[in-house]
Amino acid sequence: MSGRRALRAVLVDLSGTLHIEDTATPVRSSWSGSARPRWAVRFVMSTMEIFTSLSAARRLVEQNHQRPLLLVEDSALEDFAGLDTSNPNAVVVGLAPQHFNYQTLNTAFRLVLEGAPLVAVHKARYYQRGDGLALGPGPFVTALEYASGRSAVVVGKPQETFFTQVPDSGMQPGEAVMIGDDARDDVGGAQNAGMRGILVRTGKYRVGDESKISPGPYLTCDSFPDAVDHLLKDLL
Amino acid sequence: MADSSWTSSAESLKGVILDLCGVLYDSGEDGGTPIPGSVEAVKRLKASDLKLRFCTNETQASRDKFVAKLQKMGFDISVCEVFSPAPAAVAVLKDRGMRPHLLVYDGLLSEFESVDQTNPNCVVVGDAAGNFTYENLNDAFRVLIGLEKPVLFALGKGRYYKEADGLSLDVGPYMKALEYACDVEAEVIGKPSSVFFHSVLSDMGLQPHQVMMVGDDLVNDVGGAQLCGMTGLQVRTGKYRPSDQQHRSVKADGTVDDLAQAVDLLLGARAGPL
Repeated sequence: MSGRRALRAVLVDLSGTLHIEDTATPVRSSWSGSARPRWAVRFVMSTMEIFTSLSAARRLVEQNHQRPLLLVEDSALEDFAGLDTSNPNAVVVGLAPQHFNYQTLNTAFRLVLEGAPLVAVHKARYYQRGDGLALGPGPFVTALEYASGRSAVVVGKPQETFFTQVPDSGMQPGEAVMIGDDARDDVGGAQNAGMRGILVRTGKYRVGDESKISPGPYLTCDSFPDAVDHLLKDLL
Repeated sequence: MADSSWTSSAESLKGVILDLCGVLYDSGEDGGTPIPGSVEAVKRLKASDLKLRFCTNETQASRDKFVAKLQKMGFDISVCEVFSPAPAAVAVLKDRGMRPHLLVYDGLLSEFESVDQTNPNCVVVGDAAGNFTYENLNDAFRVLIGLEKPVLFALGKGRYYKEADGLSLDVGPYMKALEYACDVEAEVIGKPSSVFFHSVLSDMGLQPHQVMMVGDDLVNDVGGAQLCGMTGLQVRTGKYRPSDQQHRSVKADGTVDDLAQAVDLLLGARAGPL
């Protein structure tokens, strides 16, 4: 592992790493101590914050002058404000349990089968909900792809483009580290883009997840505070 | 226009297997409507010297119920002639000591009454239609993800079927959703599994090359039958789409307008020169 590349950015997956729904996982004060180095910190999550897959999805739809059927959470609709959604000719799928019902999926399927592009905000398999694991958008995007015979354009994790767009321009991927609880989408995706990935054993993490990606995570830690400890000690 | 090269081997056929939905009738809110000419076509087949069976991936209703529905439409059909996934699944579950968490349409539950469903060690997914709610899918997902060795049975893997108001998602996409979420591969019980087709052939006492399958689903009916060594004929009713004729891997032995035309051509070819 080359120690010569200085660490300049830390990407932190929000859901499952820093918080699970409304409960925060403990973050130690060493993170905000005076010894903290000058890192750019970007929080990456699919439904809010500085850089999001939702804004990438909106840009794609706008560039192609499409009218989307939006299968996204109500709180995400504002990212698509101003777009014409009448008579849709594209389908955008985000994390939207209230839309993943038989009737709505049939509507989306019929549009895609007839040629409407399918845009996936991301393809997470599942996430940690307050009451246990819950299906993410990935399975439903896969269902629509199989039914229609068409492939979705994925704008969020684990696509490489998502990760390479997040750090400030001018920064090399090798100068960034991603911390997340999803081995494939957070860590695998980041490492495929040339970053280092730290897998944390919180949130949706399950024993054995480390071996689901090859190469394995740069590091696996019990929690976000442990990951930060490591960064402060070993990667300065 | 019909592709007639398959009729040259018509004389050597001893049996026919018919798909139900999309061949005999089209599905719909009101229970469905017979496809024109199909009732008569089935009568003609029964009156011939060919053995006849019906092979369906229908999993919204139990066999008794959907056969009764077809009889009301005028079809000459009985339960013992019909092969569907649920009874085949029950046999597999009992044989392997599997206790299922069922994600199926309510109408199918009676087929599983004799199976122990406590403390499930597998999931069975069928064409659950309106029962494919997010929470029901989530419950099935949680059973699978919680098992050390997740086992998923899918009653068929069709992509979609035709209803009165358009095409609707079949069990296949939902099977894929669970496969993707849990990183497992489902075992398919029903078409196009060869085990399923062979159970029909053995009931008929015939070899694959002596039998022709007629269906509207290119991959699951025609392709599945061909993989077993049967002749596969596609009808242009039901879920047929013109793009089926340019499919990258499955090429039907023949494509006909509907079951009535298939039977006309088949019996005509067997009658020989007049």
